[in-house]
Amino acid sequence: MNSATFRVCPMTGRRVDAQAEALVRVNAVVSIVALLVGAIAAVLIVLTRWQAVHLLPAEWYYRLLGVHGMSMLIFFIIFFEMAVLHFASTVLLDARMAAPRLGWFSFWLMVLGALMVEWLMWTGKADVLFTSYPPLKAHPLFYLGIILFAVGALIVTGIFFYNLVVAKRERTYEGSLPLVVYGAVTAAIIAVITLLHGAIIYIPTFLWSLGLMPMDPEIYRLIWWALGHSSQQINVAAMVAIWYMLGALTIGAVVLNEKVSRSAFVLYVLFISMASAHHLLVDPGMGPAWKVVNTSYFMYMAVLASMIHGFTVPAGMEMGQRLRGYTQGLFGWLRKAPWGDPGFSSLVFSVVVFGFVGGITGVTIGTEQINIIVHNTLRSPGHFHATVVSGTAMAFMGATYYLIPLIFRKRVAFWGLAKIQPYLFAGGMLVFTIFMTFAGSFGVPRRHWDISFSQAPFDVQFNPVVDLLLAIMALGGLTAAVGAFAFIAIAVVSVFFGKPIGELVPGVAVVGVPQGLTHPPRHAANVDELNEQFHNTPSRLGPAPGTMVLVFVFLAAFVVYFFVNWKILSGVWKIG
Amino acid sequence: MPASHHPPPGQEEEIPLGQRLFDNVWLLLVLGLVIMFALFTGWGLWEILTLPPATLP
Amino acid sequence: MPTAQSDTHTGLESPRGIWWRPAHRAEKTWVAIAFAWCMVLFAMMPLWHLKGNQNPSGIRRRVEPAAFYRRTQEFIKQYQVGDDRGMPIVAPPPGSEVYLMAQTFMWTPILKLEQGKEYTLHLSSLDVNHGFSLYPVNVNFQILPGYDYGLRVTPTASGDFRIICNEFCGIGHHTMVGRVIVVDSAGQEVVFRGGNHE
Repeated sequence: MNSATFRVCPMTGRRVDAQAEALVRVNAVVSIVALLVGAIAAVLIVLTRWQAVHLLPAEWYYRLLGVHGMSMLIFFIIFFEMAVLHFASTVLLDARMAAPRLGWFSFWLMVLGALMVEWLMWTGKADVLFTSYPPLKAHPLFYLGIILFAVGALIVTGIFFYNLVVAKRERTYEGSLPLVVYGAVTAAIIAVITLLHGAIIYIPTFLWSLGLMPMDPEIYRLIWWALGHSSQQINVAAMVAIWYMLGALTIGAVVLNEKVSRSAFVLYVLFISMASAHHLLVDPGMGPAWKVVNTSYFMYMAVLASMIHGFTVPAGMEMGQRLRGYTQGLFGWLRKAPWGDPGFSSLVFSVVVFGFVGGITGVTIGTEQINIIVHNTLRSPGHFHATVVSGTAMAFMGATYYLIPLIFRKRVAFWGLAKIQPYLFAGGMLVFTIFMTFAGSFGVPRRHWDISFSQAPFDVQFNPVVDLLLAIMALGGLTAAVGAFAFIAIAVVSVFFGKPIGELVPGVAVVGVPQGLTHPPRHAANVDELNEQFHNTPSRLGPAPGTMVLVFVFLAAFVVYFFVNWKILSGVWKIG
Repeated sequence: MPASHHPPPGQEEEIPLGQRLFDNVWLLLVLGLVIMFALFTGWGLWEILTLPPATLP
Repeated sequence: MPTAQSDTHTGLESPRGIWWRPAHRAEKTWVAIAFAWCMVLFAMMPLWHLKGNQNPSGIRRRVEPAAFYRRTQEFIKQYQVGDDRGMPIVAPPPGSEVYLMAQTFMWTPILKLEQGKEYTLHLSSLDVNHGFSLYPVNVNFQILPGYDYGLRVTPTASGDFRIICNEFCGIGHHTMVGRVIVVDSAGQEVVFRGGNHE
């Protein structure tokens, strides 16, 4: 017996469950609030690491570093992912929200937990950074807040799976789940892995903070990183799902081969969480065999998966363009693409920066031995700002430009600013991550208030170029922050004060509505025939030659970066 | 190849095993959990718990 | 969107019928090349264990912080050759067991080693997690209380090095700096950029 109410989306024809839509909205709004908190902290922190400015005193630097990590990596990203899970298991399947009351209960539980954690951090009761490594100890309510948040999120993943069961039973779709939903399934499964480990570590740590039990620091790190890194792999899966979605919405990107793309998602499910080990490569608790097997995502099978998506996503975009007539040369499809659509530009920047900068640096610094010259230097945050920020957050921003008209049914405010926002954010982050990484290669430590070491017993003189690198890094970071604040302003004003979208006439551009909705990328009636022709091409580069060239450029960059790092490693002290 | 592949009505082809396995969300969930808990968590804990005490030579 | 009757479809649509089909030759080529690269990536790690000179394997043990403290004091007493502003300078013989303890917010003692000689460097913490970051060599290891990380190290250059703590350990984290002196084979100390020497 269900009393679900639906509306029919005038733009896509999909049935949208009212409760699902409401839950998507509240989770998205709260995620933007968390993004705002994290972005404010980011500006203050980057102005402190810029030694010439050195804005915050030590205590507040470390405090806000914790706030930044928690607000961004946990609250912003996970609330947004809750919206994605609700959306993917209902709207994308024309299905109903099967447990709306539980959905609301878990939302409020997550909000309560988040508020508790933020309050304790801001009031100095949890100056332990995002990782909260024992024996550093925070107020017990800090751990309890995280537990409540995690329980809420785990319930939402349960609702997600339940919605899928109901949708299948009620036959709201035929055949297999759409690929985008399959990606969301991947994210949800990894979320279960993540949150179970979270429960296993935070409940004992909460008890330890009350003095009720001991807590071994290495066991904590092992289990915590199974939560901490796997949560980032939820982000990867959600990001890739959104890549396929944005590609479809903006330029009619097609799925080249379901088996290939789904295999990549399956490899993620099976192996991607193991790479949490790359945080533990220079730890004393585990041996080389464990480190090698786990940090390699099991012989790099999950990296293979990323390299597969790294091909199928752009290739699907290229085919989506070629099938609609953009066939000139190797890259005409890309040049003629809608670069003024912030959903599209966000998609491209997300794919490129995640792959080239995030992916290549990540695999390299995550090898057991190269980690020796990397661990806890700025190369670590340099890497992960290229993945989770320039990759996942960028993709989520791109999706928001379509979410605003489709779910909030408003026009995007400050449309001129919106069109350039992805460029600002991506450009700023690119500079930020590259220069942060570069500074890290000089040994500059992460999570460190003062590398002039003015209060230390022995002097440490970094190469003078480091100051310049950190200054440029800060300028990149500030540019990205402007892009982030622009995004937040656009989102908030659109949602709360935006013009209603009204009725769209296909083919008529409207300020504040992305072209994928006003000029939906339609394929010709003979698209299958055209597709077959492209696939029968005699060219060795295949039906998507532009993408083939790009992935080989990527591979070349990967090979060079990888072996250069081994060379650098070979020059340091012998260690064994 | 995107060749059309629709059996005439009334004559359903068997869905390949690979497709059925990939479509099985519960199987994926179980495998994902088992592999992680065995290779990362279980093995990792075993490594830590079986570390010998230092002799401090 | 592609028409309802077409096989070609976007990621937002359910694929019709059987989608378990072979990939195009170009896709297969890329997957094969990517797979081969993944095998290279994987092979490098065991290979470096066999042929390379930098591995984080070490001799890893559990230890009581109090016991590690006592052993380090013995070590200092046995091999002390001087001090720098109150911090003992210790010159252990090549091949010996060397003890370095981390605590908020200092590294004890100052080590004086010989270039090209091997030592077993025992790292541990008396209180919270610390990060051993040898500057400007740039080698980095995690130090935990309760764990003795015994790394066989051979300095490859002489100089006056610094140990930066790169794991947040409290409000004085950024003041936690240690010192390692490495003399060359002629017994000469080289004043390394930014260093002090006695």
